Parts: sequence; structure tokens; C-alpha cells
Amino acid sequence: MAFFRITLLRSAIGLPRRSTDVLKALGLKKRMATVFHAVSPSVAGQIMKVKELVQVEECQYRLTKQEVHLERKPDPGYYLEKSAVEQRSESSS
Amino acid sequence: MFKSTQALFGGLLWKTPWRLSSPQKARQRKRLRSVDRVVDTLSAALERNGQTSKAVTRWYAEMPREEEMLPKDKYTLFDKKEKSYRKSIHKLPKWTRVSQRVNPPGF
Repeated sequence: MAFFRITLLRSAIGLPRRSTDVLKALGLKKRMATVFHAVSPSVAGQIMKVKELVQVEECQYRLTKQEVHLERKPDPGYYLEKSAVEQRSESSS
Repeated sequence: MFKSTQALFGGLLWKTPWRLSSPQKARQRKRLRSVDRVVDTLSAALERNGQTSKAVTRWYAEMPREEEMLPKDKYTLFDKKEKSYRKSIHKLPKWTRVSQRVNPPGF
């Protein structure tokens, strides 16, 4: 099942009430918020109402809020040394 | 020191430049393309599901894409009060967040 991954890039401040309401209906409360909705004509119609404000991608899985957040997590810049025994047990399991 | 300028003395003086700068035009093209991209994504996803949407089909029927548009339509819009019947698009309220692509035929 396919999903739309919708990210709000531009706010609807100062735009007609209708745009704000559509964003609320989609679950987009602030800029850079990401929501997932199943592909359907009704969701497509809602996105068309706010197409200037959002970025849309099609994806196969719905990610949780935590997973979306972790995508932005920077590289820690270090890695933990492991003994050969530990590495072997991890790769075999 | 007080300097008598038109802005300080006069009542209404618009300080908005009458034309767009080239970076403004570049960003305008970028925004037009981003809207095209959103509509393309919607249409492709619906087609894969075997569905259609009235809003999307209507957009394709009525609206030109960024690369099909004339520079005149990208950066200016019809205004009956102007001498040349055209004014720069940045005079349109909220112009960076609204779609304004077509103008009356013949103008």
C-alpha cells in the first residue's frame, strides 16, 4: 500500500482560512512537520488545495514520528570498538 | 540630520520596486517547478493505484507547466488599470504562495 509523505514547508499565515483548515485536516500543525496518508483521490484533492505550501513524496511504508526524527539525526562522529568475538556473535545471529 | 525626501514629506509613496530582480525571478521559477513536481507526484501515485482525481486532471487540462510558460506569464499578470495591461507579479498579495499562471487571452 502506497502512502503520501507530506511535509509542510511554508506556513499558511495570512492565506485564506480554507488553506489553514486543510492543513489542520491533514494533520500539519507547524512548518517542517511530516505526515503520512494513504494514496487516495480525497487526500490528493486536499494536497491540491495547499500544493504551494507542501512537499510530497510517494513511499511504501508509513514511518512513525520517531523514525522521521531519526532520519535527521547527525552522524555521531565516533564508533564503539568491539572485540572480534562480539563482532562475530553479532554477524552470526 | 533631517533630509527632505519624498518618502518623509509625501503621504503615499510606494517603495516597492516596479520590477523583479533576477534572483527573485529565479526563485519564482523554482516555486513554479516545485508545484509542478507536487502535482506530478500526486498524478503518478494515483495512476499506479488506478485512480484519478478531479482536481489533478483539471490542473493538467488548464494549467501550463513551468517550461511551457512564457516569461511574460511567469513574471507579470494582467491588470486592467495599467497602461500596458500588465503589472509585475510581486504586486499580487501573497505572490510566493499562490498559483497565478494564466492570464486573459490576448493580453
